[in-house]
Amino acid sequence: MNNRAATVSETSPQTALLEPLFAARPELWTRFQTFYDSLWTAGQISRRVLEICRLRMAAIHGCDPEWRLRTPDVFLTDAEVGALRTGNFAEFDHYERAALELTEKFPFQHHAITDAEVKAVEDGYGSAAAVALLTAVAFFDVSCRWQQVLTPSAST
Amino acid sequence: MSTTPRLKPPTPTSTPDFGSFLGYIGQTTAAFFDLYAEYWQRGVLPPDLKETTRLRNARITDCGY
Repeated sequence: MNNRAATVSETSPQTALLEPLFAARPELWTRFQTFYDSLWTAGQISRRVLEICRLRMAAIHGCDPEWRLRTPDVFLTDAEVGALRTGNFAEFDHYERAALELTEKFPFQHHAITDAEVKAVEDGYGSAAAVALLTAVAFFDVSCRWQQVLTPSAST
Repeated sequence: MSTTPRLKPPTPTSTPDFGSFLGYIGQTTAAFFDLYAEYWQRGVLPPDLKETTRLRNARITDCGY
């Protein structure tokens, strides 16, 4: 995948990517933007955890536009970015690894997610954060799939 | 796959289920249902097509909900 990073200054990094997909439904776009931004601004889980899960989801799907985006206020080292691309989570702390392990299974192995894996996220971040994370990961998955179906060049 | 709720509900008197868990993220949940209502109530796709694809997706993902 192309590692040239682009920075988006909106509340949530994907709005620039997703807006063209909603061109035929501006009223739907307004509501989607409000919803998607809330994932990043409601505050139940840190933007750093959201960002690493978003990037891992982009790597799983091979979604280059999603991968090239960076959330402006989240700093990731080159080693962390490389680890997210390869799926080696040793660079991250215990609870971040728990979040990434949920993300790893979400798109294609959601039935294999265990009680212990969900509990690990809850233990680290709390119940509200676990719900917020799982909701966000679901829509990171959606975002990658939309882009790849509607703009085939989004795949690498 | 687990068949029991994985989280406690936000309030002790709530039933632990998908609906009550969304109570943890009230702002996001409200925004989602506003979005969802717009999707279902308007647009160029007929409602029966939306419902058919919704049900098919539920079967594919094995989502009983």
